[in-house]
Amino acid sequence: MTLRDVDVAVIGSGPAGMAAAIKAKETGAENVVIMERAEQLGGLLHQCIHNGFGLLYFKEDLTGPEYAHRFVEKVMDSGVRPLLQTMVVGISPHRDVTAVSSQEGYITFRAKSIVLAMGCRERTRGALNIPGGRPAGIFTAGTAQRLVNVEGFVPGKKVVILGSGDVGMIMARRLTLEGAKVEAVVEILPYVGGLIRNEVQCLHDFNIPLLLEHTVSRIHGEKRVEAVTVARVDKDKNPIAGTGRQIECDTLLLSVGLIPENELSLMAGVELAPITGGPVVDEGRQTSVPGIFAGGNVVHVHDLVDNVSWESELAGQSAAEFIIGGKRAAGRRVNLKPGRNIRYIVPHTVSGEKEVSLYMRVNEPEEDVRLKVGSIMTKTVRAVKPGEMLKLELSQAQLSKLKEGTAEIVVDCEERGDR
Amino acid sequence: MAEVNIICIGCPLGCTATLTIGDGGEVAAITGCECKAGEKYVVEEYKNPVRVLTATVVTQGSPQPLLPVRTAVPIPKAKLLPGMKVLAKTRVKPPVKIGDVVIPNLLDTGIDVASTSDLAI
Repeated sequence: MTLRDVDVAVIGSGPAGMAAAIKAKETGAENVVIMERAEQLGGLLHQCIHNGFGLLYFKEDLTGPEYAHRFVEKVMDSGVRPLLQTMVVGISPHRDVTAVSSQEGYITFRAKSIVLAMGCRERTRGALNIPGGRPAGIFTAGTAQRLVNVEGFVPGKKVVILGSGDVGMIMARRLTLEGAKVEAVVEILPYVGGLIRNEVQCLHDFNIPLLLEHTVSRIHGEKRVEAVTVARVDKDKNPIAGTGRQIECDTLLLSVGLIPENELSLMAGVELAPITGGPVVDEGRQTSVPGIFAGGNVVHVHDLVDNVSWESELAGQSAAEFIIGGKRAAGRRVNLKPGRNIRYIVPHTVSGEKEVSLYMRVNEPEEDVRLKVGSIMTKTVRAVKPGEMLKLELSQAQLSKLKEGTAEIVVDCEERGDR
Repeated sequence: MAEVNIICIGCPLGCTATLTIGDGGEVAAITGCECKAGEKYVVEEYKNPVRVLTATVVTQGSPQPLLPVRTAVPIPKAKLLPGMKVLAKTRVKPPVKIGDVVIPNLLDTGIDVASTSDLAI
């Protein structure tokens, strides 16, 4: 078995992995490698051929492949070593990374620090228990996206999409442009799951019906999907008897949520947070295992790639500093606790020693609210939605208001009484 | 006088603006927008709705079956589906570099369709 020493091992070469590796190198780590199981760098960006990427990071409206290209060029210029067709199969708590590579076979890297950048995967039909047979024609939205945009196959002619997340809505438009008829987008919640711009530009633009508070209660067909039954749901999201109607279709796409991909993290003994499904991280994106860092959708599912890049740069920088500065003394750790109408906050802890951006999501849509970070900061916001991630920047000055011995800050999304 | 509803996409609020359209087609009044930027957006969206068209074209002589492409800048919304018909008839051969023009002057809009990726032989 081959053994090799590296400084920083980055696992995954999507937007998170590339940003982390570049930043680790810039910060001063010498031997930085990216391990990627596919044949090229870029991860999922290659199949996301639509625009809307980079509006914040580059101040330009790029497509997924264009966004990837910018970072691939930087990786190549930076001296980071990409290892393609290299699939990581194990990580130990002592930072031994085991991989299988088409070039070198079975290989173990002894890493001084690791950045986890494996991204996320889609929830499938198995997570939903929709009654019916097992006909062909049921795809996750992301799989359909790869078929249509990369492989060159349109999976069906009459399509129903379950779930109004961004990928589902983007596929509704994409399939319509390719000549398929999207009969409906069905959403169990009373509001759209994805961004407002996608609701308008993917659904309204093409008159695609959006059925809120509805779900697919049965799949019909034996060899191939022939129809689905769509029914209204009650407050507990259960189908209401008597409200079902059949929609004829040959394809059902599922856009019903994404799950951070953390099998490798668990092998390394990294603690996961129950709500996000990703590692518990501090402000430098260090996980519960010293020397193992994480960034991007492996930590929590983002809606904008720009934030994935920024977050992963933090992880890459910390991974390099871990090596250069030696192990950091365990400084102060203040827990951030989700309060009223806050679903989660990343990072999970802050040191209070330097400025930090808080990424968070709310549980329910609300208007006229005040975001309150303990007693150190408030910000009024006109509207919040679970599908749109919130970013709050805490300055050094605000953090210096933290009292000695503070163990926890509660972050609330409060109603504003003054409007 | 007629009324048109347009949803603003500027922020999560998603204001539904109501535009009152005069007999000459001019915007006489706007209600329902919470901010000035939103009002500007909905007027533009009423007068000339534009979108970037992103799609693929079929390749010949490349291991990659499709090449992703985009219009360099947004085109009129009404040209999206007609534009797809032009793309469907187009074939590209490698090598192609990111940014190379694949279809010049799509449907006489004066706007080019360009590659968003490299295409290897």
